[in-house]
Amino acid sequence: MTDSRPAQPSRERRPSVVALLAMSAVALLTLAGCETMPDRPMRPPVARTGDPLIDGNNDLANAPDKDRVLLEYRLGLMALRAGNFDMAKAKFDDAIMRIGGLLSGPADAAQRSRGLFTAEREKVFIGEPYERVMAFYYRGLLYWRDGQPDNARACFRSAQLLDSDAESDAYKSDYVLLDYLDGYASAKLAADGSEALARAEKLTKHKLPPYDPAANVLCFVEFGHGPRKYAGGEYGEQLKFQVAASRIRSASLTVGDQSVHFLPWDNLNFQAVTRGGRVMDHVLGNKAVFKKSADTVGDVALAGAMVAAGNINQEKRRVVTDERGRRRVVTEYDKSDGAETAAIALGVIGIFSKIAAAATQTKADVRMWDNLPQYLSFGTLKLPPGDHPAIVQFYDANGQVVPDLTRRITLSVAEPGKDTVVILSELKR
Amino acid sequence: MKTTSRFFLLAGAVAAPVFFTGCETTQGVKNPSGVPVTEMRPDEKGFVQGTGVESQDLVSVTDKMSRSILGIPEIARAQNKPRIVLEPVVNNTRFPINKDIFLTRIRTQLNSKAAGRVSFLDREMMKTLERERALKQSGQVTASSDPNVVEFRGADYFLTGKLEGMSTRTSQGTSDYVLYSFRLTDARTSEIVWEDSAEVKKQGLEDAAYR
Repeated sequence: MTDSRPAQPSRERRPSVVALLAMSAVALLTLAGCETMPDRPMRPPVARTGDPLIDGNNDLANAPDKDRVLLEYRLGLMALRAGNFDMAKAKFDDAIMRIGGLLSGPADAAQRSRGLFTAEREKVFIGEPYERVMAFYYRGLLYWRDGQPDNARACFRSAQLLDSDAESDAYKSDYVLLDYLDGYASAKLAADGSEALARAEKLTKHKLPPYDPAANVLCFVEFGHGPRKYAGGEYGEQLKFQVAASRIRSASLTVGDQSVHFLPWDNLNFQAVTRGGRVMDHVLGNKAVFKKSADTVGDVALAGAMVAAGNINQEKRRVVTDERGRRRVVTEYDKSDGAETAAIALGVIGIFSKIAAAATQTKADVRMWDNLPQYLSFGTLKLPPGDHPAIVQFYDANGQVVPDLTRRITLSVAEPGKDTVVILSELKR
Repeated sequence: MKTTSRFFLLAGAVAAPVFFTGCETTQGVKNPSGVPVTEMRPDEKGFVQGTGVESQDLVSVTDKMSRSILGIPEIARAQNKPRIVLEPVVNNTRFPINKDIFLTRIRTQLNSKAAGRVSFLDREMMKTLERERALKQSGQVTASSDPNVVEFRGADYFLTGKLEGMSTRTSQGTSDYVLYSFRLTDARTSEIVWEDSAEVKKQGLEDAAYR
């Protein structure tokens, strides 16, 4: 008679299980080790005051370093629109210094953000090229306002240079306004700005006004909402932009009997989507491939573990003849050591593959300078020093005035020798 | 057991490459960690080209200029101490700078090293000085000399400079070449009596995370 009792566990199997447990512990420690920097302890939240500049400064004081430039961009622009030019200068100066400083050496956070288990958003934010361009653009306006057109021109040149590495030649350094202002600043400094004007004219479909060095009121106008970032692709590994058409398509400024109409010269939505691929997209793509592979390996290994587990106790039927010569079927269960070990091994591999897949950070960094405009425009006026009442109006796609945006303002024109810089925005903050 | 061990080894062998190859996320990316900014000789050909006006440029350029000015005959062998007026530097680069800082450092270097061989006229203070003289002339404040006699000195030379830049940016990095040129112009004849220049070229490559 055959013994149908389950076989006793083999002595040889024990070390295998111990080894598997040890491997599991090592793997867990390894994955845990990927987290090299503990989160900075959060400061207690500061009560909101309702004043965007005060709240913005509080946010900045509490923000991690990696988000500092982003908050400075936003706050600098809010301060500029609110007429707090000193604060705007301070914020843009600090942001520009930081984004410039990143060239001086490899940044640890940037290096980490390229790793599998660290998200791209963990790198220090400096923004996509169109965001960096705008930081220089706004700083340029502030320099001009301070009577330093040469430093303003330097900012416009830096901004245009930042756009010079777009993937397609057609979209390299293609901001009309930056070239136009480069030449205009030169004209103001009694230098030759014709080359920059020619570049600007080549880039635009509109007729650009000739430089008038005698114009003393420079109007920088902006309308519409700028590009919004979102993460696309199966694992959010693609940086994409939502570019809704603006309700506002043009603007005008009327001062006494003078009126300037502002058509869009540059479109930030267009600038955001014409940059071409990033190197970081390639890195995120590789992360996504790893995530997918690890996930698939996990699925296959876990399925294999299930199959192996089902085969641990194998049913065997055989016909036996008893003492009386009767034949009957006997069912026996034989435990398979091999199947058990395989089930454990595949289970461990499956679990770790799944953990690795889940821990892989593929999502593109979608932190964005969210108070940028869509369209930029420019115009000039010649006005005597003193205060001048003026009306700003914005127009929709049909050329109709949008009444709720019409504003009455007072232009305070500076004494001769210094240009008056006016910044008019559809956006409040 | 032999079969089990073989299976286990095989599974491990399949899983390990998946883990380790996947860890290489920057496959195919050149210089993923970026390259630190390196200062180079202007005549040295770099792999990419450079960046920014920094303090070390200021120091080296102004040191060179002040040494150079002191060596010219108009200063070294002048019968009377030449009087120099500083004119603002023209910035044609893509870097916003504090333009006064170059001339301020040249002036302080010349004042400290020339041992009184040159003097500088403070034209930045003219408005304040004129106001003070007017107060003296009106008798509102005391004067140690006759306030009606013009004592403001005229310039013998004008010292000024210009920063010219050339910039390039590609996917391989950013490069900036800056030419710093300074000149001393005779106020009487408009003759340029001295001119010198210095060049700095820098280049850098951002981390792949920013490209």
